[in-house]
Amino acid sequence: MTLKILVALTLLAGAVQAQSVTGKAFGTFVNVAGIVAQSPVATLPTTGGMATGQVDAFGVPGSVDAQRLNAVTTGAVDSKKTGAQSTSEVEDVSTAGGAITADVVTAVATSYFGQFTGGSDATGSGFTNLAVNGVPVTEDVAPNTRVDLPGVGYAILNEQIPTGNGVTSWGMTVNMIHVVFQNFLGLTTGEIIIGSATSSVTR
Amino acid sequence: MNTERHLSRALGAIAAVLLAVACQEAASPPGNITAGWKKEQGSCAGFRLTGGGRVDARDHNGFAKSTPESHDFATFGFQARPSSSCPPTDGSGNIEWNEHNPDEFGGGFAFHGQVTFFTTTMDETAGDDRCGRFGGVGRLNTRNSGTFEDVPFEVNHACDVAEPGVGNDHIKITISDVYTRHGLLSGGNIQQHRLTGNN
Repeated sequence: MTLKILVALTLLAGAVQAQSVTGKAFGTFVNVAGIVAQSPVATLPTTGGMATGQVDAFGVPGSVDAQRLNAVTTGAVDSKKTGAQSTSEVEDVSTAGGAITADVVTAVATSYFGQFTGGSDATGSGFTNLAVNGVPVTEDVAPNTRVDLPGVGYAILNEQIPTGNGVTSWGMTVNMIHVVFQNFLGLTTGEIIIGSATSSVTR
Repeated sequence: MNTERHLSRALGAIAAVLLAVACQEAASPPGNITAGWKKEQGSCAGFRLTGGGRVDARDHNGFAKSTPESHDFATFGFQARPSSSCPPTDGSGNIEWNEHNPDEFGGGFAFHGQVTFFTTTMDETAGDDRCGRFGGVGRLNTRNSGTFEDVPFEVNHACDVAEPGVGNDHIKITISDVYTRHGLLSGGNIQQHRLTGNN
């Protein structure tokens, strides 16, 4: 009986120690023509807490121009209920030579588990007054929507990348604008990410 | 300048009101605006809160995201907890609140608040105690009216109703007497945790 209790306590201790959260959010990342730049990144400690990354303006000539970049991530580890939520917002966005513009780009990534269930999603992510190749987008953009950008390459809008095994771990990365630059051979030469939020939890 | 004067008057007015209320409820009146918010509603909380996400529709009028041309939404992130020696109902933590509606104060703003008190409160929709109340002072950086320091705020309630938080959890914030938003989460989550650790 005592041995069973010890084993149970050991397993419980191991489970508690394994619990963790991750969270990350940033406004803009650029890797184009040898220029690598990134706005401030909010990174959540694995034990939880809160982190922010903010800047009034961010620009790389010819690649991206953006204002009021706000990234925040929060979370907490608790054996009964654990969660992480990250938000990135970027305003007055113009990228890929003006091929994509938006008033506001909002990325939200949420991951959680309670006693009986867990999950992760990008609900709340969206664009305000998005335009692609000069055409206004008047409806919500479906996850992982690809649009061609003539002379540039293509972009994935509302890019959602789930992570975790769905049993003991759940996670989500959402990149609201992911521009992929290509040369005339179709080879990738660079990328821009605007509005990125990541969260994950491990039981 | 006029806006600053108006805000200053507004802060003075709300301070007077809160001081009056506090005087009725406590033997010793608080000495400043921040303390005025700290009137003894609620009691020491045996939990902490974290949250983040987005609020669009107001006053529990659904939880759908605003239409793609609308700026009428806010995003937020916070952590808040009571002090270890509660009572008194001191607290700690931080909140970021970004309002995008150009018709709101300052044409929209980014607010960074530092938590100085934390108490229990009631969820007015479900009537239970899955909610925390906290507040303090912060910096209000408006889109077109400048920046204001030491602005009092109160998260009247942040409620962890269920998982996932969208359509279940809700939050109400008041910043001085110039802004309030209350609604169900259209993105993100609010979680109530036990008082363990420092985060």
